[in-house]
Amino acid sequence: MGSAAAPLIRVRSVSKTFRAGRALVPALEDLSIEVQPGEFVSLVGPSGCGKTSLMMIIGGLIEADRGEVTIHGEQVKGPFTNLGIAFQSPELLDWRTSLQNILLQIEMRDLPVREYRAGALRLLSEVGLEGFADKYPYELSGGMRQRVALCRALVHDPEILLLDEPFGALDALTRDQMNYDLQRIWLEKRKTAILVTHSIEEAVWMSDRVLVMTPRPAKVAADIAIDLPRPRDLEIKTSPTFNEYTGRIRRIFGDLGVFRMGEARRGG
Amino acid sequence: MAADSARPSGDGTSRAVAWVAPTVATLACLLVWEAAVRWFGVPIYLLPAPSGIVYKMFADYRIFYVQAIPTLSAILIGFGMAVAIGVPIATFMVYSPLFRHSVEALLITAQVLPKVALAPLFIVWFGFGLLPKVLMTFLIAFFPVVIDSVIGLASVRPESLMLVRSMGASRWKAFWKIRLPYALPSMFGGFKVAITFAVVGTLVAEFVGSDSGLGYVLVVARGDLDTLTVFAAIGWLVVIGFFFYYAVELLEKFVLRNRGRSRAHELGAGL
Repeated sequence: MGSAAAPLIRVRSVSKTFRAGRALVPALEDLSIEVQPGEFVSLVGPSGCGKTSLMMIIGGLIEADRGEVTIHGEQVKGPFTNLGIAFQSPELLDWRTSLQNILLQIEMRDLPVREYRAGALRLLSEVGLEGFADKYPYELSGGMRQRVALCRALVHDPEILLLDEPFGALDALTRDQMNYDLQRIWLEKRKTAILVTHSIEEAVWMSDRVLVMTPRPAKVAADIAIDLPRPRDLEIKTSPTFNEYTGRIRRIFGDLGVFRMGEARRGG
Repeated sequence: MAADSARPSGDGTSRAVAWVAPTVATLACLLVWEAAVRWFGVPIYLLPAPSGIVYKMFADYRIFYVQAIPTLSAILIGFGMAVAIGVPIATFMVYSPLFRHSVEALLITAQVLPKVALAPLFIVWFGFGLLPKVLMTFLIAFFPVVIDSVIGLASVRPESLMLVRSMGASRWKAFWKIRLPYALPSMFGGFKVAITFAVVGTLVAEFVGSDSGLGYVLVVARGDLDTLTVFAAIGWLVVIGFFFYYAVELLEKFVLRNRGRSRAHELGAGL
């Protein structure tokens, strides 16, 4: 978090406009963010505000119209590969078992699959899927599939994690469990991670820093450092400090006009 | 899929039912036919009884065997060409919008063109041998292969492609490991339609003009008012059609053996 260190990821005045039929939809406008090495940053904002586009631009998977992204000071042109991605849908291949899906990451990189097998199995057991290595996706529940996808994002030990709302479709209990698992893995490996989420609680609980995004075109409305001790447990969600953070973020959304009924004023 | 006779098949029926039901239904139809022919004393040159047809199919098997060879060759080569040329064309169509727009109209024209009308021209151009039959078969089987391959290859989820691109995979690898496997179920759907079309295509070519093949046997027998031989030839063509169809389906089951079964069996036919 030290602001003196050079940022690992630097997004500089990035703009992106999509074409939807004849209409032009500005997704990002003049957006700049910086992420320090080893930092866990969440982007929280209303749906359709361009968070996913930003993630894809950081990963070099889509091109920005204007502005640039640098990682380690080098401009990203084309897919940046020293990263792991998890999407909202698990994107597992039906014809591969859990283990084979995780090892796809290794195969695609032409790395020696045999050497990563043990690591993949260890990851599976760390997320509570011991014994599910040889199951096909259709034999797994939604939460289990998402956990396999998380393992796939981690198996090659990437420097950066891009998590595009990976827990968005899960029930609350599974979600808490996965937040827990992710924190444990993150504390162990200290990856630089960017998490896109709709959940203010999830953003505060997971992150070192929360970037509150405006509705489309997305800009950073607030940059909030989360000063809560780690490892965090679920109890912390009932603490006054935690609720102060979530209340503050809700109020910012209220001021931005994200809520229609004005009930945002109630919080904090 | 072979060893699990107790496991329900896709729609919730047991595998025994899946075999017994169609067999019983087919036998019932044949029995009604047999009984009607005998009861009403239908003359053999109008409509022979199924028992007589089956007997003829095997009694004259030497003729049918010899004549089946050119027919089988034309079906196989024509279908093979349709797959070997259709799949790459579909691939180019998916990757290059310019190419797709260029050939789409041509493809549809080739499909709506009444190919029976072309058959006599083929004979003028290519004679009576194997070539005009193969070309006709190819022409008819080609369309479903291309269309279903395009649908399949375009059905890949963009997130999946992004994912493998982030893994540093080349376009070629992304095609081979992601896009093609995604397309296979749809492609096999096209292949199954194409193989039945291929049988028709070969027969059309043999009808219009040839000096060998089961279609040729049909034409000659019809000229002689030998209805029994006509039906026996049709009988063998049905056998050939079934054989090829199930050969493709078997190949499909083998290639897609690791795919998840659809959840339809949980519903049965209740919905």
